[in-house]
Amino acid sequence: MGRQSVGIIAPQMASQATSRIRNFSIIAHIDHGKSTLADRLLELTGTVSARDLTEQMLDTMDLERERGITIKAQAVRMSYQAQDGLTYEFNLIDTPGHVDFAYEVSRALAACEGALLVVDASQGIEAQTLANVYKALELGLEIVPVVNKIDLPQADPELVREEIARVIGIPAERSILASARTGEGVDRILEAVVTALPPPVGDAEAPLRALIFDCKYDAYRGVVVYVRVMDGRLRSGTQIRMMASQGTFAVDEVGIFRPSMVAVDELTAGEVGYLIASIRNVRDSKVGDTITEVSRPAREALPGYRQVSPMVWAGLFPVEGDDYQGLKEALDRLQLNDAALTFEAETSVALGFGFRCGFLGLLHMEIVQERLEREFQLNLITTAPSVAYRVTLRNGTDLEIDNPDQLPEVGLIETIEEPRVKLEIVVPREHLGGIMELCQERRGEFVQLEYQPPGERALLTYDLPLGEIIHDFYDQLKSRSRGYASMDYQLTGYRPEQLVKLDVLVAGSRVDALSIIVHRQQASVQGRKLVQRLRQVIPRQLFEVAIQAAVGGKVIARETVPALRKDVLAKCYGGDITRKRKLLEKQREGKQRMKRVGSVEIPQEAFMAVLSLDR
Amino acid sequence: MTAEADLAQPLSLYLHVPFCAVHCPYCDFAIHIGAEDLHRPYIEAVIRELRLLAAGGAERHPLDTVYLGGGTPSLLDRQLLEDLLSAVREAFAIAPDGEITIEANPTDLTDEQARGWLALGINRVSLGVQSLDDRSLRWLGRNHDRSQALAAIEVLQGAGLENLSCDLIYAIPEQSTEVFAAGIRALASYSPAHVSCYELTVEAGTPLAWSVAQGRAKAPRERDFLEQHRLARGLLEGAGLLQYEVSNYARPGRESRHNLGYWQGRHYLAAGCGAHGFVSPGMAGGWGIETTPSAVGVRYWNLRNASTYIKQVGALGHGRRGQEEIDEAQREAERLACGLRLRDGVELSQPQQLATAEDLVRLGLLTLSGSRAIATTSGIEVLDRVTLELLGPVPVPYPVSSLPGSN
Repeated sequence: MGRQSVGIIAPQMASQATSRIRNFSIIAHIDHGKSTLADRLLELTGTVSARDLTEQMLDTMDLERERGITIKAQAVRMSYQAQDGLTYEFNLIDTPGHVDFAYEVSRALAACEGALLVVDASQGIEAQTLANVYKALELGLEIVPVVNKIDLPQADPELVREEIARVIGIPAERSILASARTGEGVDRILEAVVTALPPPVGDAEAPLRALIFDCKYDAYRGVVVYVRVMDGRLRSGTQIRMMASQGTFAVDEVGIFRPSMVAVDELTAGEVGYLIASIRNVRDSKVGDTITEVSRPAREALPGYRQVSPMVWAGLFPVEGDDYQGLKEALDRLQLNDAALTFEAETSVALGFGFRCGFLGLLHMEIVQERLEREFQLNLITTAPSVAYRVTLRNGTDLEIDNPDQLPEVGLIETIEEPRVKLEIVVPREHLGGIMELCQERRGEFVQLEYQPPGERALLTYDLPLGEIIHDFYDQLKSRSRGYASMDYQLTGYRPEQLVKLDVLVAGSRVDALSIIVHRQQASVQGRKLVQRLRQVIPRQLFEVAIQAAVGGKVIARETVPALRKDVLAKCYGGDITRKRKLLEKQREGKQRMKRVGSVEIPQEAFMAVLSLDR
Repeated sequence: MTAEADLAQPLSLYLHVPFCAVHCPYCDFAIHIGAEDLHRPYIEAVIRELRLLAAGGAERHPLDTVYLGGGTPSLLDRQLLEDLLSAVREAFAIAPDGEITIEANPTDLTDEQARGWLALGINRVSLGVQSLDDRSLRWLGRNHDRSQALAAIEVLQGAGLENLSCDLIYAIPEQSTEVFAAGIRALASYSPAHVSCYELTVEAGTPLAWSVAQGRAKAPRERDFLEQHRLARGLLEGAGLLQYEVSNYARPGRESRHNLGYWQGRHYLAAGCGAHGFVSPGMAGGWGIETTPSAVGVRYWNLRNASTYIKQVGALGHGRRGQEEIDEAQREAERLACGLRLRDGVELSQPQQLATAEDLVRLGLLTLSGSRAIATTSGIEVLDRVTLELLGPVPVPYPVSSLPGSN
């Protein structure tokens, strides 16, 4: 094929045919050992020496390592000398492990022919894992189950094998027992990748079709696009077109991940790698889009492209007004690398100038918030997250409202529709009651209940408003199942409901950033709980502060924060002055984190109070 | 500013005497129980430190006030006191109308002792009465009772002391408001010139804090603080003792000049273990403490342990453990925090402070006369918050963004 090897690539790799390529990813629940297994594979294939192996090699962000989750997809190429004496090219695509990033996961899976399903030998299959397995099966992937952590004393590998057989239908004996930590069984996993997973099929001579499964922004090189070439060839100089977003670019470089980027002459059908084409913005390289050649375009794009859109919105406001510009710059920078993050300027009477940001989900929101505070030293107030409501006005206008404060007056509204999801929960039988109760409380409609034989665990399906999930649902799920339940959801559509806006008044003035949209029947209960919660988090001021909840101007609940009665230290002599001043300095910094609304100081947590209403 | 120029303002001296007969469980001062054999070496070390302090540029400068605090300075025998005060007069000088205060315990206070103090020029005694209820005194771990306290007052007044101050503690869990009120009335009948009235504070690290944490001692009740504070103010002012600071009451002209110095931001020297001083950068420079140009004052503090203190003074001539520079912003914070405690209030300089002050006036917490802010009686009860409001937010530097996140 006339390919030249570049850099450190061994010559035999260059002549590999697609029959010796295996593209696969790892499907696992958080903490089931995906990253450890990936590390072990890198080590055993000699891709990374044990010396250079930092733990969780593929999770490159500090946040990922700390939280033990993968946020961005990664790819790495390994060479494996199999027992048949041949050398194979493995492309491992590591996928994000959270429901917020479900679409990214599906595209990463679409770039593969197979997947390792890693299940903790003491935990069994979780809802999230199951959702991803179904996704992989729908995409026609071969699955090799791995029962991991068999070295742990509480491991019951046989039981988990049976579970995999029953739930997914893969015979128990095909599940590989392993411990990524000790290395046991990892050799069998490597062999199974060769023998059980199919090589890619694709026509190197057909018009180019390459799937974008991720991209990242590199400060020096611009956007690096992660691709799987399905048909044709991709090389530097190729004029490419993004089939969905229609952008055209000239390819400057193609290469592979070992795991650092190494340039090669060409990526052909079946291969996984990257391309750099002076693309300035990650938005020009949408995950799921198909890359083709301008001069010889493919007739049809690869299936499955979807415009990723935010599901959850929240306002981000700098505590200090001066930080507004800093926040804007920080969001710009994060957006360079996060195509799913959207933001637009927002003004709140209570909080001043800020941004309405759209996120894929709550975890995505938390990650963005944490990165802004950590990497950009911003002191932020985040308002309670909201979903987008479809509002039809009496005059026939349709609106999409992602900020409760912008909900028009009741009199003008014909209908309000809220987004609903299909929620799947895997829960041990003994906690089923509590979880069903939780779903009922959150206006869930029961869809179905299946027991996974031998009956210890249930797969519960509910149809439920998305807005109910984003408020403290996950924490409740975990606490009511002692940590054992797991969940997955997908948007199913919109449905009209009796929804109202619940306003909060502090010391007589409405605090726009505290408004939420709730179901009419729950308004008074929620209002009462919200004002009670606010009473706890708003510190005593020099005067009495009334906190009221109102619907349509009618007050439905009220609490009072009594005035501060005593705040003075009796003694202050020569030896006390320094201590006194330091205390004052500390308190002044504390005030920094509060927002003054009218004459009342409201701490950050008040704006999130709605999240922790236990119902 | 030179050390000479600094001396245009009155200078005070605090001397710490750390010895006590018993340890009161609520006390967090630097003290030693018994340790009679340490008295002389300790006083000698203090004298040596005084000389070094004076050599910083204040030699022969008349001190406006001298304060012997503790501990229990009244435990010192007459000779040691005399040596100490002679050394003060030798190293500095004491202004002819200088205020010289000694803190005293009522236990076994004799007429001879009292007359001896007066003969040494001590003209003010701060007597640790604390309570006139025997049960409360026992709870506080004091080694005196009501009758000894009253006897001590009589002895001091009988010896001719005019400037007598009595300390009282309120919000003692054992002492009902009625009993506290009766104590104040009884005390007022002796017409002391000055009364300090403190709430019982459970200081971290004290035996009392430990007992409270263990549930062996009751914590002071929140409602008693305000109730008894208000009651004390009413009764004392009714008896002609006017509140001139959060916890201090005096007949006009009998305010503690030494303590006023602290609240008015004046300079004070300090010698002895655990003592804190506040001087100009010029004077600190005379002792070899270097400061940056932004310093407007230096606060220093001595080692807390008497033995360690004696050792260090032997080696270095001073007992300093640490110091901090005070810059303009910090001095302003201290000026407000301390000045608002006073009946005479504090001058506000910045427009933002005046604007906030007007809000506080509307809430009935301050009065403003011109640009002078004075806390009202309600304002004094929440004074720390009032101060915080007037100080406003801390100015923060613009955040430094990190490099673009390249994953």
